[in-house]
Amino acid sequence: MSDIAVKVEDLWKQYRIGHKASTSFRETIGNLFSKSELDYFWALKELNFEIKQGEAVGIIGKNGAGKSTLLKVLSKITYPTKGRVEINGRVSSLLEVGTGFHPELSGRQNVFLNGTILGMTRREINSKFDEIVAFSGVEKFIDTAVKHYSSGMKVRLAFSVAAHLEPEILIIDEVLAVGDAEFQKKCLGKMGDVAGEGRTVIFVSHNMGAVETLCERGFVINNGEIGFIGEKHRAISHYLSESQKVSDIMLRNDRKGNGSLKIIGIILKDSFDNVVGQTGTGQYLSVDFRFEAVNKIDNPIITIHIANNQDEPLMMLHSRMSGDHFKDVKGEGVFSCIIQKVPLPPGEYFISYSVLGGGSFLDALDNAVSLDVISGDFYGSGEIPSASQGKVLLDAQWKMS
Amino acid sequence: MKTIITAQSSRKLNLKELFHYKDLFFVLAVRDLRVRYAQTVLGLAWAVLQPLATLLVFTLIFGRAIKVDTGDTPYPVFALAGMSAWSYFSFVMSQSGSSIIGAGEMIKKIYFPRLIIPLSTALVAIVDFAIAIAILLVLMVYYEVPISSNIILLPAFFIMNIMTALGVGIWLSSLTIRYRDFKHVVPFLIQIGLYATPIAYPVNMVPEEYQLLYHLNPMTAIVEGFRYSFFGQEALHSYAFISFGVTFFLFVTGIIYFKRMERTMADLV
Repeated sequence: MSDIAVKVEDLWKQYRIGHKASTSFRETIGNLFSKSELDYFWALKELNFEIKQGEAVGIIGKNGAGKSTLLKVLSKITYPTKGRVEINGRVSSLLEVGTGFHPELSGRQNVFLNGTILGMTRREINSKFDEIVAFSGVEKFIDTAVKHYSSGMKVRLAFSVAAHLEPEILIIDEVLAVGDAEFQKKCLGKMGDVAGEGRTVIFVSHNMGAVETLCERGFVINNGEIGFIGEKHRAISHYLSESQKVSDIMLRNDRKGNGSLKIIGIILKDSFDNVVGQTGTGQYLSVDFRFEAVNKIDNPIITIHIANNQDEPLMMLHSRMSGDHFKDVKGEGVFSCIIQKVPLPPGEYFISYSVLGGGSFLDALDNAVSLDVISGDFYGSGEIPSASQGKVLLDAQWKMS
Repeated sequence: MKTIITAQSSRKLNLKELFHYKDLFFVLAVRDLRVRYAQTVLGLAWAVLQPLATLLVFTLIFGRAIKVDTGDTPYPVFALAGMSAWSYFSFVMSQSGSSIIGAGEMIKKIYFPRLIIPLSTALVAIVDFAIAIAILLVLMVYYEVPISSNIILLPAFFIMNIMTALGVGIWLSSLTIRYRDFKHVVPFLIQIGLYATPIAYPVNMVPEEYQLLYHLNPMTAIVEGFRYSFFGQEALHSYAFISFGVTFFLFVTGIIYFKRMERTMADLV
């Protein structure tokens, strides 16, 4: 057997844009007569790479960069438009935990259902059944219908099934990183075991920490193309520098205010004054607003609002309320809003700002810049609650007396 | 194990792989059976009540009111023999027809031979089929209708029945992904087919000049074949081979079209 586990040659994948769930028959008939212009886009462009047996590879890239499409092609869920993939070994792909779980069936029945969907035989499941149930910790409820399970129990049982697959090549999407911190640890631990046993692991993630602990090499995918392949630390720094966000707010035409002071750029910086594209929970973050003021403005007030991707306002940071005053502002300069510990669970957030002066709006822009928060340390314990357990984190300590 | 993935690699029917996933085939069928009667008070009794109710209506309308001539065979027995084949067909066709759309989440997240999904519906419906046959046997004892020695042919006709149901079902399952219009075709086919197939009446009631057209319906010969197997009266119409040809054609082209569509299923579903 060759030592190459996965070999990808000139791989291309095309999708139709604005694809409805399906085309209607009428549309197809219509298209026979009028050559309508269809919009296509290439989700993957000219990919070439090799992954060796026993290697753990992390695939990193922004949302929509083509990571999931690549995993789907490698796991035969969808087929490439052009090109060739050669895979040596039995593949298991986990793009979701609990695929096919049926709420009306008991935990036991779902273990068999999910296991066979993942490609195990009933005999294999039978022989590992006790182990699977023990790992999940839901022994007591194994004969209860899954619809009565809590979501945590469901995820634990589902992951437990997946964890007992014995593939030669394991393909994992970051969706596995959902659930509570304890569960995430368990997931990562199990994946580390798999990688340690000399199996090939292909892992997609936004969580740089997980890529760092699990993988040896990193692939950065950018707009469907390979941006970088190489050693993990270099791949991570390549990715972070690539996603640096110097926001193009000058192109926005939905600004409000009279414009006598204008924000001309927003950048995010870390504690070393490096420009960053994202931050982590508990990290230092400086949001810098570069401005230009035509006239002298005394005591302007700058406010930012941070909202989550459901558009729920989470917090307002207001320069006057925090006791920060700026005297006689004129010309160019920078307002920096310094957040010592980002109190946000991992996710995507949006920053809106407004600048007031002399009783009127000078400049304001909704959702001026997006803020990607990745997993990080907040309490110094390495554990943080997930977004489902609370929208913000608060620095607090526990005591017993 | 070496796998090659290219744009064309889904087109071949990989029977070995299909066989490897046989457990999934059974597990999916068992799931559907369990789920179907979960939380129903009568449970499996529904599978008995359904054919009985239809049979009652048919017997009252065609047997009593219209007085369809079924020769020596009492009407309820005559009708049920046809209905058992037809119910199997209509159930499998409608279930497998919508099966791929229904399994969309699975298809988008995991690889397995997609054909397993429509195929497993053929197994689910065997339970209902067995119940219908059991009722038929009870009725035959009650009406003192002797079983013909042709009964040994029944498995062959039943295999044809499976092939027809799956052939149409597999066609519909892949067509529905591309064109949702085909969702509306299923009830339409069932409604028309119920009368365009000799279920409530014997095949010889159709004028000879229409027999050729009539046998383009693949279920015509199968329903006839069922009656021939149970009661052994007159032999099949000479056009029956046309029906069988249509069955074979639908089954083979259905699988070919399905394999062609398999490539884009996860993108379209």
